[in-house]
Amino acid sequence: MSNAGIGLFFLFGLLAVLSALGTISMHSPIRAAMSLLLHIVSLSGLFLLLHAHVLAALQVLVYAGAVVVLFVFVIMMIGPASPEPPVTRGMLVKTVSVAVMLLLTALLAFSLMPVQKAAIALGNCTDAEGPECDQFGGVLAFSKSLYAGGVVPFELISVLLTVAIIGAIAVARGRTAAESEALARKLKAAEQARLAQEARERALAAEVSAHGGH
Amino acid sequence: MDIELGYYLALSALIFGLGAIGFLVRRNVLVQLMSIELMLNSVNLMLVAFNRFLPDNHAGQLFAFFVIAVAAAEAAVGLAIVISMFRLKKTVHSDRADILRH
Amino acid sequence: MYQKALLGIVLFPLIGAIANGVFGRKAGRNVVHAVAVLSVACSFALALYAFGSLLHLRYGQGEEAASITYTAYEWFSLSLNHRTLSIPVRFVMDSLSGVMTLVVTGIGLLIHIYSTGYMSEEPSYARFFAYLNLFTASMLILILGSSLPVMFVGWEGVGVCSYLLIGFWYENPNYAAAGRKAFVANRIGDFGVILGMFLLATAANSLEFTDINELAHVRPTQFTSALALGPQGAPFWVIPSISLATAATLFLFLGCTGKSAQLPLYVWLPDAMAGPTPVSALIHAATMVTSGIYLVCRLSPVFALAPATMAVMAIIGAVTALMAASVGLVQNDIKKILAYSTVSQLGFMFAAVGCGAFAAGFMHVYTHAFFKACLFLGAGSVMHAVGAHGDADIRTLGGLRKYMPLTNVTFLVSCLAIAGVPLFSGFFSKDEILVGVLSSAGYFSFAPWLAPTVFGMLVLGATMTAFYMFRLYFLTFSGEFRGGPVHETHAPAAGAHGDHGDHEDERHDHDAAHDHDHGHAHHEPHESPPSMTIPLIVLGVGAVFAGYVWIGIVHFEPWVKWLEPSLGSIHAEHGHATPYIAMAFGLLAAVVGIGLAFQFYYKGSEVPAKLATQFGGLHRLLMDKWRVDELYDATVLAGSRGLARLCAAFDKYVVDGILTHVSSQAVASLSFLFTRFQTGLVHAYGAVMAVGLFFVAFHFVVPHADPAVVGDPTGLSVELAANQGLGYEYRWDFDADGRFDTEWSNDSKAEHAFSDADIVRFAVVFEGAGYGARPRTLVVAPKQEIKVSSGALTRIMTRGELSLDELGESWQRGEDAAAPLIKADEQGLLIKPRGARVRKAGAVQPADAEVRVSRGEHVSIGEARLSVSGYVKPRVQVRNAFGMERTESVGVVVPKVPPRITAEIAAVQGSK
Repeated sequence: MSNAGIGLFFLFGLLAVLSALGTISMHSPIRAAMSLLLHIVSLSGLFLLLHAHVLAALQVLVYAGAVVVLFVFVIMMIGPASPEPPVTRGMLVKTVSVAVMLLLTALLAFSLMPVQKAAIALGNCTDAEGPECDQFGGVLAFSKSLYAGGVVPFELISVLLTVAIIGAIAVARGRTAAESEALARKLKAAEQARLAQEARERALAAEVSAHGGH
Repeated sequence: MDIELGYYLALSALIFGLGAIGFLVRRNVLVQLMSIELMLNSVNLMLVAFNRFLPDNHAGQLFAFFVIAVAAAEAAVGLAIVISMFRLKKTVHSDRADILRH
Repeated sequence: MYQKALLGIVLFPLIGAIANGVFGRKAGRNVVHAVAVLSVACSFALALYAFGSLLHLRYGQGEEAASITYTAYEWFSLSLNHRTLSIPVRFVMDSLSGVMTLVVTGIGLLIHIYSTGYMSEEPSYARFFAYLNLFTASMLILILGSSLPVMFVGWEGVGVCSYLLIGFWYENPNYAAAGRKAFVANRIGDFGVILGMFLLATAANSLEFTDINELAHVRPTQFTSALALGPQGAPFWVIPSISLATAATLFLFLGCTGKSAQLPLYVWLPDAMAGPTPVSALIHAATMVTSGIYLVCRLSPVFALAPATMAVMAIIGAVTALMAASVGLVQNDIKKILAYSTVSQLGFMFAAVGCGAFAAGFMHVYTHAFFKACLFLGAGSVMHAVGAHGDADIRTLGGLRKYMPLTNVTFLVSCLAIAGVPLFSGFFSKDEILVGVLSSAGYFSFAPWLAPTVFGMLVLGATMTAFYMFRLYFLTFSGEFRGGPVHETHAPAAGAHGDHGDHEDERHDHDAAHDHDHGHAHHEPHESPPSMTIPLIVLGVGAVFAGYVWIGIVHFEPWVKWLEPSLGSIHAEHGHATPYIAMAFGLLAAVVGIGLAFQFYYKGSEVPAKLATQFGGLHRLLMDKWRVDELYDATVLAGSRGLARLCAAFDKYVVDGILTHVSSQAVASLSFLFTRFQTGLVHAYGAVMAVGLFFVAFHFVVPHADPAVVGDPTGLSVELAANQGLGYEYRWDFDADGRFDTEWSNDSKAEHAFSDADIVRFAVVFEGAGYGARPRTLVVAPKQEIKVSSGALTRIMTRGELSLDELGESWQRGEDAAAPLIKADEQGLLIKPRGARVRKAGAVQPADAEVRVSRGEHVSIGEARLSVSGYVKPRVQVRNAFGMERTESVGVVVPKVPPRITAEIAAVQGSK
């Protein structure tokens, strides 16, 4: 790998780590979202380094362009966050879990670091070959793999997305005014029925005791 | 010096750990969801890295493609739930979401 | 061919019982009694046929101990004393059971015929006959059974049937209670029979009568040796020393007292008169109650070996005879008098067999069956005539000879028989009993007072028997009918005939049917229908002539000779004058008894009334039947009631308390603990997941080898295998010297032939003595000692030592032998036998020599066996894809390959 490559790796890597740290530690959610955006972009850069051109583009398009935007929408809708009360509850749980996760991360990282596998040289497409070039990670090669080998998961993904849309709508819709009224009426009717039942039971009990408990 | 597979894997592990810690420590549901996205991204990175170093086919990248799609769907539904919870509890503090306890 | 007849004898009544029981109600009376009577008739016919065959075998073919055997099938088998004992269902008819079978089927047939008349108005007709047939079948199983278990089936069967039949009119709670009383008393006896059975089984290793009796004849010491009670055979300090025969026979006798209504378990028989009269005749006169005597005669060789038990039997029989006769003097209900008479006559029989006169006792069984059945059936006839139901007070009867001549004659004949008037059947049997008692003086050498005392009591009892039987006869059949107003006929006191101590004056026992007064005898008494009188006539004839069938020129030679192969004997001797003394006393008893009765009741006299008032206390005691029932109620029954209350309280407070409170408390606390986990907070759940994830990751990150031996390590080479995993690489070190013998490879299996140089320790394979002891392997390092100690086995095993108990029974050379010393060194084991019996290669080693056991050799200490093998500890190092390494080892016991095999292998390999 060229020096530029190495340098870019460290740049993007550092950026990714710092922005991840930012995401988890920033107090304001909007700042955390921005940090997430930076992280996604740096990851996209890493994908480019790894010859995953399509994926890098998709990463920016979908993640940065849709998911983070969605996050921002929701944060805006929720409004300025009420200040979180100082967290005293569950400190033990937090400390233990953080310690365990740190340990695990360190274990994994130090185990995985010595994996030695050199990158095989993959040439880039020249301009002369044009769009017919079968570049690893390029559109042609990638789409060949996707539509030839993975067409069934592809279709299933579309089903999944449909399901997600329906689910999201169903959950987040809330009630219209008419529906709220109907619900309120139903609740009131149920409450009245329960009160009537209790009154009947009390009357019956009184009758039984009046007759000397047969 | 070459960037070998191990570097990418270590980086991925590090980001995963950060995401997990964020999920466990933060109490804001939105930030928790973002931490989940971090973890998914780290896995993506690992998949693509493996594919680069074993370039016989595009399996890793395909897998990462699907992971992105699923992550998007999951973020959508998760945020819908957050909105519902906000409507109910008027807060996005996860400690308040303990109705199941009672 | 005639063997199958035995099966038929048992099966016909059984099938009749089932048929009547299931279909009887719908089939109608005629069908029911036809089936019942026919089945018993077939049984009787087959019994005659089988008996005829037996006679032919015995006298025609000259087989001395002839018997007919039929084996139906194998019932089950036991494992006893390391042998399997098979218990087949087998029926045997020999001389003893042949006679008994004829009696049961013959008299049973007569009573069945009688019942068709007596029970003609009974609504539950079919049920009655079903029970009656079932009883007959059970009794036949009892008699014909060839082994104790089969006999016990019949024993229990008759007990059940007596319960069913006594409580036949169960709607009356008193009758039902009487049935229960019979069953419970019988059950207590059954417990004795079972224990006796077990003891006999351990001594004789068989439960067949033929085996037990033969063993008693051939090897009596098997039975007469002292029973080992307590640890290590030390006799239990309360019972100094008791022989097995005595113990077993005492237990069996307990069963007999239950079944045959002796002291202390006789209390059910008088109450059993609550059942219909044919039932009383069949069960309580002729058959069931005599099964106790039958058992004693069956096992008479064993009983003859136990003089203590025989003494007990004789005394109890005599006391019972006397006691029951004394109660019978003052009773006023016909059936009660007859019941006490039965108890008394059974006492005679037990006194006879207790004094070793088995044949005489059995003869009395035989004659008693005839006359007592006749008496009971006659009583039934009387009750039928005057319209009484269930009881008949003799004070309201009288003069019946005019109205029922047939019944009168048969009743008189039976009374003469039971009183022992010469030339009637009872005379012969009673006389022979008295002779037997007098002859037993030599047998009871340890208690010379026994024989004369028993004799005296029996003579007294005979006198009382004659007296009350004729009181009954005269009050019932002679004089004028007193069916209208009741005359106050006072029952006399016992006179001066012996006071038997005094019993507590507790509250009066109120006998249910005792003072029942039947004021209504509006219709004139009439003779019974032929279905009832014909059996009476047959039985009456039997009562007269039964004795003759068996006598010869001198007393009973044919009878005794006929039974001799089946009975044991006590080799009694009697003087020349003995038979005449006995006859004289017997005659005296009969004459005095009948004379007094004649004087008081035929002639009519005021003496009974005066005696009653003069000896008022004694009179009341006798009327209350010695208040035995009250005694039992106050002691045994009160005790069991108290125990029941205690158990109920325990159940309510302790058991329920634990179950409800403790268990619910436990669940509540546990659930409280678990609810703390359900916080409802997602991040807490995530934290727990993280912890779990950590452990999973540990397993993946750190490699695990777990080497183990594959297959059998006794071959030439041992195959070892380690766990497989992602990217695992293995390296083996077989000789545990620290250097790895193989290179890194992906192969998880390795094979290696261990040589002597690889051995690090010695493995001692120890097979202890005793059943089910599995071989143990102990690993010893050089200079280590294996301790042999005594104590709790499990503790010793966990400490890796050997226990003295595992060495077997005979590991010691002498008394106070020291345990052997076992040490290990570089070449193997070194054993110093000290006090133990150590054998190597068959030869016993001297006590102070050092026995060397090398690898491949074995040695025995006592009954245990030690063999020495090699012990190797190969190691494996495993490395996973992350580069983490881990070393684990496994211990393998490697036996030595015999040199012969090694040489063969070398030869084969060399030739290749």
